[in-house]
Amino acid sequence: MSQFHKLQVLEVRRETADAVVVSFDVPHNLYDTFNYQAGQYLTLRFQLGGEAVRRSYSLCSCPHLEEPLQIGVKRVEGGLVSNHINEELKAGDWVEVMPPDGKFFAEVQAENYKTYYLFAAGSGITPILSILRTVLTTEPRSYVHMLYGNRAQDSIMFKSELDALEAAHADRLILVHSLSRPNSSWSDLWTSEADKPYRTGRIDAEAVSWFINTYPPYAQNVEYFICGPGTMIDNTRQALKAIDVPDQRIFVESFGGDPIDTSATGVANAQLTAHLNGETIETNIPEGTTVLRALIQAGKEPPYSCEGGVCSSCRCKLTEGKVHMRNNLALDDKEVEQGYILSCQSIPLTEIVKVRY
Amino acid sequence: MKLMHALPVSAYTSQEWFDLEMKHIFSKTWQFAGFVEDVAEPGDYISVQAGLNNIFIVKGRDQRLRAFHNMCRHRGTQLLRAVGKTQKAITCPYHDWTYDLEGKLISIPKREEEFPNLKGQLHECGLNLHEASVDIFKGMLFVHPDKDAPSIMDFFGEVEPYLGPHVVEELVEYSENEEEPFYAKEIQANWKIVVENYIDHYHLAHLHEGTLNMYDHARAEFGWVGPHYWFYEPLVPEYEANVEKISPYVLIDSVPKDKIGAYVPWLFPNLGLGENEGAWSTFHLTPLAPDRTLVVIRSKMMNVSEWEASAQYMKSGMQSFWSHHGGKGKYKGDPNTDPMASGDFMAEDVYACEQQQKSLSSPLFSVGAEAQRGEYAVRKFQMVVKEWIDQHKND
Repeated sequence: MSQFHKLQVLEVRRETADAVVVSFDVPHNLYDTFNYQAGQYLTLRFQLGGEAVRRSYSLCSCPHLEEPLQIGVKRVEGGLVSNHINEELKAGDWVEVMPPDGKFFAEVQAENYKTYYLFAAGSGITPILSILRTVLTTEPRSYVHMLYGNRAQDSIMFKSELDALEAAHADRLILVHSLSRPNSSWSDLWTSEADKPYRTGRIDAEAVSWFINTYPPYAQNVEYFICGPGTMIDNTRQALKAIDVPDQRIFVESFGGDPIDTSATGVANAQLTAHLNGETIETNIPEGTTVLRALIQAGKEPPYSCEGGVCSSCRCKLTEGKVHMRNNLALDDKEVEQGYILSCQSIPLTEIVKVRY
Repeated sequence: MKLMHALPVSAYTSQEWFDLEMKHIFSKTWQFAGFVEDVAEPGDYISVQAGLNNIFIVKGRDQRLRAFHNMCRHRGTQLLRAVGKTQKAITCPYHDWTYDLEGKLISIPKREEEFPNLKGQLHECGLNLHEASVDIFKGMLFVHPDKDAPSIMDFFGEVEPYLGPHVVEELVEYSENEEEPFYAKEIQANWKIVVENYIDHYHLAHLHEGTLNMYDHARAEFGWVGPHYWFYEPLVPEYEANVEKISPYVLIDSVPKDKIGAYVPWLFPNLGLGENEGAWSTFHLTPLAPDRTLVVIRSKMMNVSEWEASAQYMKSGMQSFWSHHGGKGKYKGDPNTDPMASGDFMAEDVYACEQQQKSLSSPLFSVGAEAQRGEYAVRKFQMVVKEWIDQHKND
């Protein structure tokens, strides 16, 4: 798989002031090698400044249409390769390219009846566009709900292509643009927020839940695809998880950022101080044990009932340290913010944990 | 063996056949569960009986529907009743076993003392709720008892182009009493008798000669797509020419003028649709016993003000068309006690079904002849039933 092939550049098209779309010609004998799924990427190798450098770029073309391989490349400030591509690369050049790869793709099938939620920010549009076009052209019964974040109107990549898709598939495609710093015009003075053709703000938890509540899925086999910078991905994924979207339905392509670690294992033998029924209890918490169980094992009688994170009988307030709640179906965000925890679900993340019932 | 058309007469009278159908037809098909708006908000749920399975549909906070078998994994108690709203968890009333809205078991009272063998994470103990499938088709909810059911579009996709062009999601439900469906009645007949009456073209001009004569039966078109039946007939020319004035209900605006008429498909196995110029209805059958069937009709209309609706009704009432179309019993008599004098086509159908069922136990009963066009659908439906059972009895 790690073999590079020389492909010739067919066209370098300027998409926005700081992004281009590069098309490659694939010779017949490499058709199978360069076959791909909507959402996958290409790895390119350049010799720059006497060094071999590699970068991966998502394919924005549609594998089900007869069209050349295309990648979208947005200039990164100080970026060696992205600037080279934006400034130097031209039609006719030969580039070393590895065959398509990546686990971020939609399994598109004509008979599917699905709702796809696509979340893209900035140049994260590239694999999303591929998925969008492939789904719309290949799955006549599926729906696509897409939220696309950018800084301003003029930084929206593939604007005209998206407009055309919107017009052609009005009955199945919902596309909302979210702009963090929209260019304002005089007419904005008398245009209400609801009448603007875009939403103002970044793609964050609030935007995600607003979008899903406003545009609920029709077909009930739902998948969620997210691509953008690290924070946008984390925010979007957390927002989805906060409303109980199952993990296996979420697909993420990160451009650079590492995925966050959610597997909290807890600190072994943390010191616990608990104020309970007028008594101050000192004990330790064996590894993998909850605050509640540690107290019970110490012969105490803390309040509890379901021990499943549902009823909130075991609620107490964390006054020092940090804990991880395995499950919380009882406390709302405000209570959590105020330091309340479900002791039956809490495992220590710090050496010292103090709670008050 | 005495035959109806393609099925034995005993298929309409015996408990054995009834059980076979419950198991292999009603528990192995997508079953109608209601309208999309029945489960509108996160936490809303409904439960429905679908063949042998009781299934509930609940909407998650992500606005996605989930379906589970309505049965606690402890000792099988039904978890949810009819219709309601749940917050973040579902607790069995019997011993307070609790599941989240993903169906995962999250709490058992006295777990460590009473169930020392259930170690580790509760939701990994193999005691999560049994999943089922749910999806939406034409504004309707359907459930399938199998969590890996074939796509609902595998089942309905091919017949969809033959259904009415009505945009169901834009219509609003109509009923005399808000908490009740438009019509519900237990019919003393086998469910297949009711289906066969629904798809029998031959009877329209006869049983309903005074009640459904605003539709042009002579120009009806009908056929089969897979296990489903489709049917369309236009309005009679006099009605069609002045439909805006004559229609008692505000015309459904998603139906283009040249497509107005009555679309009356039968979706296998137990859901009829009645899609016409002013109303859109579901006609849902629940078999209760070999000779008892519950029919529930839910009806939708244009989303217009009460004033607009009654203005249309008044306008329609002044049209001479209705003096010789619809509302007239086949026979003279007391419309309140004699269904054949009622002028109500539903009452006529129920009467015909029950009268036919009564004869099935007669030693002399037999089907004398079969109208080759007008009753072909009856034979075809029986063949579909037979084939479905044959194909699925070894699943």
